[in-house]
Amino acid sequence: MIALIRFKLAAYARSHRLLQPLTGLFIMMVIFYSTLVPPGKELPSYADSAGLLIIVFAWAARGLLDTEPPAQRLISATSAGGPRREVAAGLLAALAVNLGLAAIAVALPLLHGFAVTPPAGDVARGAGLHLLGLSAGTALGALTSRPILPSPATSMLTLFGGYLALLLASLTPAGAFAVPVMPWMRAANAGTLDEILLQVTAATLFWSAAGAAVYARLRRTRP
Amino acid sequence: MRLSSVSFRYSRRGPWVLREVGLALEAGSVVEVTGRNGAGKSTLLRLLAGIVRPSRGSVTGRPRVVGYAPEVFPVEQPFTVAAYLAHLARARRVSPAAGTALAERLGASHLLDQPLGDLSKGSAQKVGLIQSLLAPPGLLILDEPFAGLDEQTRAELPEIIGEVASGGGTVVVSDHQNQLRSFPGAEHWLVADASVTVPDAERVRRTAAGNDRERASRELAEDDRERASREVGDGERARHAVIEVLVGMEEADEVEQKLRADGYLTRRPA
Repeated sequence: MIALIRFKLAAYARSHRLLQPLTGLFIMMVIFYSTLVPPGKELPSYADSAGLLIIVFAWAARGLLDTEPPAQRLISATSAGGPRREVAAGLLAALAVNLGLAAIAVALPLLHGFAVTPPAGDVARGAGLHLLGLSAGTALGALTSRPILPSPATSMLTLFGGYLALLLASLTPAGAFAVPVMPWMRAANAGTLDEILLQVTAATLFWSAAGAAVYARLRRTRP
Repeated sequence: MRLSSVSFRYSRRGPWVLREVGLALEAGSVVEVTGRNGAGKSTLLRLLAGIVRPSRGSVTGRPRVVGYAPEVFPVEQPFTVAAYLAHLARARRVSPAAGTALAERLGASHLLDQPLGDLSKGSAQKVGLIQSLLAPPGLLILDEPFAGLDEQTRAELPEIIGEVASGGGTVVVSDHQNQLRSFPGAEHWLVADASVTVPDAERVRRTAAGNDRERASRELAEDDRERASREVGDGERARHAVIEVLVGMEEADEVEQKLRADGYLTRRPA
């Protein structure tokens, strides 16, 4: 399966599709860190970044999964020993790309963006929140990829609409049980992130896994 | 390999593409699948290859290594032919040299450095064929492989199919142009009206030479040809015959293997 993941990553890199989410990421980085983040505000900054970059992570995952032509997915499935492995290789390749994007988002402000270097604990919490953001983004990207939504217009609308719905749902009283983007942003600002971190992590990973499972289920009849 | 009551549709409310299909595939058999456009040939091939799962029913006994060449090879990929084949060889855990050797055999060595996007239709079909053969397949599925091929490859392909079958592999070919009509021992399936039919003559031959192989083998071992003839049904008796073939000792294994691959029973006198 590793060979198939490498094949998908090589195709994605050579297709230049990576430039789109990379451009989106750098635009967001410029907006976030055009003025230096004052001491003590690094964690809220990371929390905002992790929540807002979900759309970039979703875009990258969708782009990667759409790189392979439909007939190549059939070839890849037989080469890898079954469609499940092809689906898993696609999701893992998308996660790998998003891990790279998240690493940039976490490391960049340490080089330029934060007025002072934050404590290691805050960097770790920030990295953790980005992991949550990329898992939710990868699932959203997979659900809007071409095998599931063949029309590019529908796919893009669903991707942006889905992200908006995700943000709005997290504003409601049930937000802590949806993908809790707003709750983690608010808690980071209020200095109470540690109190809800476990709940936020569980809810985000649950919804991400549920999204990935729905994607894998739908792919059974959408090779 | 066996398909039992297999039905398939692409969505819960969509029309049935195939309904209650029951088929058996012997190891070493060659099957040509025909049918009009949109009849469901490609879907049947995808079910056989394990790319999609049946909505109902089951497919059992599928060989571990499946080679699949789609009807239209996807050239819109950012690789040269050599890089593409090397990636797929690694995915199949075989040496990238396998692709080079197959390219040489199919007269495609000159294509190796070309980008996939620059290939003509026939050249792209060759790359599709090569990738399906990178690892010796236990099941080889070729969707319209003859389309766009040059004469040399068109002549080479039945030989390759024969070799895979001789090695115990099962070959299923969707063939709109009926290019395998004279392939020795090939079975012919017709896909129409969401079902797969095997013409009567084929079914009789398969019953006599394939499905009842164990029973008939036992009977032949007893050297009771009359009894073997009596055991098959009235309609089959007329088509059942014993042919003695004399071959040189050095060729005996090869000829026997080929006959068995074609679905015939063979025995050697003690």
